[in-house]
Amino acid sequence: MPKQNITPMPASCENGQLACPECGLLHRHMPLAPGKVAHCRQCHTVLYRDDPAMTDSVLALTVAGLILFALSNVFPLLGLRAQGVETGLHLLGASWAFWQQGFWVLALLVSLNLFLFPLLELLSLLTIALTIRLNWQPDLAILLFRWMRVLKPWGMLEVFMLGILVSLVKLGSMATLIVGTAFWSFSALIVVMAAANAVLDPYTVWQKLDKRCRH
Amino acid sequence: MPTLNQTVRQAGLLQCNVCGGLSRPPASLSRYSVLRCPRCHARLHTPNRKRSVEVTWALLIASAILYIPANALPVMSVYMLGSGQPDTIISGVYKLWSTGQWPLALIVFVASIVVPLLKLFALGFLLVGIQRCSRWRQHDRMRLYRLTEYIGRWSMVDIFVIAILVGLVQFGNLARVDANAGSLSFAAVVVLTMLAAHTLDERMIWEEC
Repeated sequence: MPKQNITPMPASCENGQLACPECGLLHRHMPLAPGKVAHCRQCHTVLYRDDPAMTDSVLALTVAGLILFALSNVFPLLGLRAQGVETGLHLLGASWAFWQQGFWVLALLVSLNLFLFPLLELLSLLTIALTIRLNWQPDLAILLFRWMRVLKPWGMLEVFMLGILVSLVKLGSMATLIVGTAFWSFSALIVVMAAANAVLDPYTVWQKLDKRCRH
Repeated sequence: MPTLNQTVRQAGLLQCNVCGGLSRPPASLSRYSVLRCPRCHARLHTPNRKRSVEVTWALLIASAILYIPANALPVMSVYMLGSGQPDTIISGVYKLWSTGQWPLALIVFVASIVVPLLKLFALGFLLVGIQRCSRWRQHDRMRLYRLTEYIGRWSMVDIFVIAILVGLVQFGNLARVDANAGSLSFAAVVVLTMLAAHTLDERMIWEEC
């Protein structure tokens, strides 16, 4: 018997009700003063915020992020000099290292964590912000935002940064370290992506992407 | 916020896990029908406690088993001037500690040994609570879940350190770092516990059975 897809009746914007994403308690939507935050009565999870400049801020941060992402991948991240010999490491060199050692599963995992998922996140943010800003058809943005939130924990730029710092201390006593250009753009990229995600309010985005909710 | 003093379930509604959108389920459903969120088209989980709990247990048990080779097998080998030996996670921490780099030893110890163990126990504890329909300190259990979900990815730091060292320290006989099989099981533990945290539907902490 084939699976049958059923789309139930939407009840989201009906008399402005919304549910806490954590505990499921229903609330009634209330307009907020700019900059204010609405919390759940039961578990105090943030429900939504009001920030009139959200879309523009996300757009600016995402464009900056894409430029920094390109720089971080083009220039070398770290270098090491010992006895006149120099080795260098690019961002994807971390994945290449595992590949050369025969651990292709790890190579794949690392390149997903450091390249594919962060890039996908940046491109999704760009599409979502542009869709809201320019009133595009929301279908693609809905698909991307849905997957972005599932894949979020698997992009690990900031974890890699901690890895870089640990490696720097470990290697510092052994040889001369060269901090590459990509190290700085990579640091900035982490800050910019964190800022974009802090500014983005999921409730507002879904509300704006849902044609039925546009009041 | 004004509340309607009802949960989604009590109001007979469905809430999408992904976009938080609400919908009204049809009165009758055949066994083969799949509900899709009217807003984001993600599959809606009609609260199926049994499945979420079972899948999470399976992932948790698999990662608990892999935790053994992850700690028993060497994760990398450092060779200096032709001599050196494979290091496990614990011996790596011990080496850092004994050379006086204790802040670093602490970071690696917490990220690679404490966090995975904590995740295994925390998820197990949450699952037992859910299976017994416990109403005990739901706020704190929710907080424990959030914490578990948040810290999981930081365990990958050890894998990244290995990748960076292997990529950088390649000076032939002078100094060389190789990756070993333990790193594969360690990465598997991190990935599986992250998946387990994902498959555990945290709203079950609040729901009555």
